[in-house]
Amino acid sequence: MDSETTCSGITRRQFLKGSAITPLTLILAGTGVATVYLRHADAQGFTLRPPGAIAEKRFLAACVRCGKCAQACPYLSIKMAGGEAGVGIGTPVIVPREIPCYLCSDLPCVKVCPSGALDKKLEDIEKIRMGTAVIIDRESCLSIRGLRCEVCYRQCPLIDKAIVIEPRHNTRTGEHTIMEPVVRKEKCVGCGICEKSCVLPKPVIVVQKTVETQKDSYEF
Amino acid sequence: MSSKWWIPRRTAQLTILALIASPLLGMTFFRGNLAAADLFGLPLADPLAFLQALIGGMVIVLPYLGSALLVAAFYFILGGRTFCGWICPVGLITELGEKLRRRMGSGEVTMPLTASRWSLGLVLLTVAMTGIPLFEVLSPIGIINRAIAFVSLMPLLVLAAILLVEITVSRRVWCRSLCPLGGFYSILGRFSPVRVGFIENRCTHCDDCLRVCPVEEVLTPSLKLGARQVTAGDCSRCFACVDSCHAKALSIDLFYK
Repeated sequence: MDSETTCSGITRRQFLKGSAITPLTLILAGTGVATVYLRHADAQGFTLRPPGAIAEKRFLAACVRCGKCAQACPYLSIKMAGGEAGVGIGTPVIVPREIPCYLCSDLPCVKVCPSGALDKKLEDIEKIRMGTAVIIDRESCLSIRGLRCEVCYRQCPLIDKAIVIEPRHNTRTGEHTIMEPVVRKEKCVGCGICEKSCVLPKPVIVVQKTVETQKDSYEF
Repeated sequence: MSSKWWIPRRTAQLTILALIASPLLGMTFFRGNLAAADLFGLPLADPLAFLQALIGGMVIVLPYLGSALLVAAFYFILGGRTFCGWICPVGLITELGEKLRRRMGSGEVTMPLTASRWSLGLVLLTVAMTGIPLFEVLSPIGIINRAIAFVSLMPLLVLAAILLVEITVSRRVWCRSLCPLGGFYSILGRFSPVRVGFIENRCTHCDDCLRVCPVEEVLTPSLKLGARQVTAGDCSRCFACVDSCHAKALSIDLFYK
């Protein structure tokens, strides 16, 4: 060691390197990563979270990505997001068209969440608000076109509460009834069973961001 | 070799991997990963993950606080970066990468250890300002955990990148200088009573310990200036130096000197 050595064994050069250049490098690298990689998980639209998830922005921070909810889910509905989710990497997601949430009455996923990202105050499955089902393509919906489908209505775990059938006269044929499925937004828990059950290749009823209050039956 | 600390250490590292994989085999005594877990009903939590969830998510769950404190106390007593040396799966992999690097004789550049404290600062600042838990997002530890528990292989590319840089450019740069969790534990474990002790008059200055130490800076005060203990929080308590010392000049102390 040369004469510059201090009592802690660090030279002036090493000290400067450690306390000036390093943070600078880190900040540069950090902003680089942040602009490319850290977009909002919502950037690609709505992400369906497990029951009890707190508001999305806070959820992303509160979820420690331990995967216990996915391990607790008996239906394997909860998957861990991969790198495509950006900031949401490693967070639990539900893709209803694959496996929707079947609303276990004892909420095992919420029970195991350590960090409060899934709120333990949630005990009643009818109070779940993961999202809200919306009929996004009324022109394609078989029931609205006058056929007897109503599969989403019959599969809905909250049948006659969250999805109801509103019959009206079929003016096109003049002699039949249109049995239109209508989502009662204030009751819908967003489990996605309707989205899963839709018989069309591209589901016309899908779960979207939670809507708390009903404004219009035909809103989409 | 005067002692064989590497055997229990390697066993611990492999046990952790087995624990994380155990739910796949239908076993139920372990759930979760190194961010938060249940082991035989005992909830465990990574204190840094807890801090990020607290700052960014603004939720506080008392049992979670308790389990984070429990783990923090554990590492506080064992000291230094025990987590890095004995538990972390990334440590295990980069350690094996280091063996390869030595054989190839490449990547001798070292970055200062203090950088990990800066990156810890960056992580805490980011979560406070943007609500993005930077470390949970980028953590190769989480990536390995999920790759094992949920068989998701693509994110392992991040780990491959780290390994590539460590083998060809800068030795163990992620673990030594960039990992915020390492920085966190180096602060937390600074005042632990479990330390590597140094008996100066036995030392032959063969420098074998410096060659095996992943953070050789921590040995400098002892070897050059005769300090009786390795006090730096960056010591990972891997005891490779103790294993390597033929003169028995290095030992494990369970008290302050």
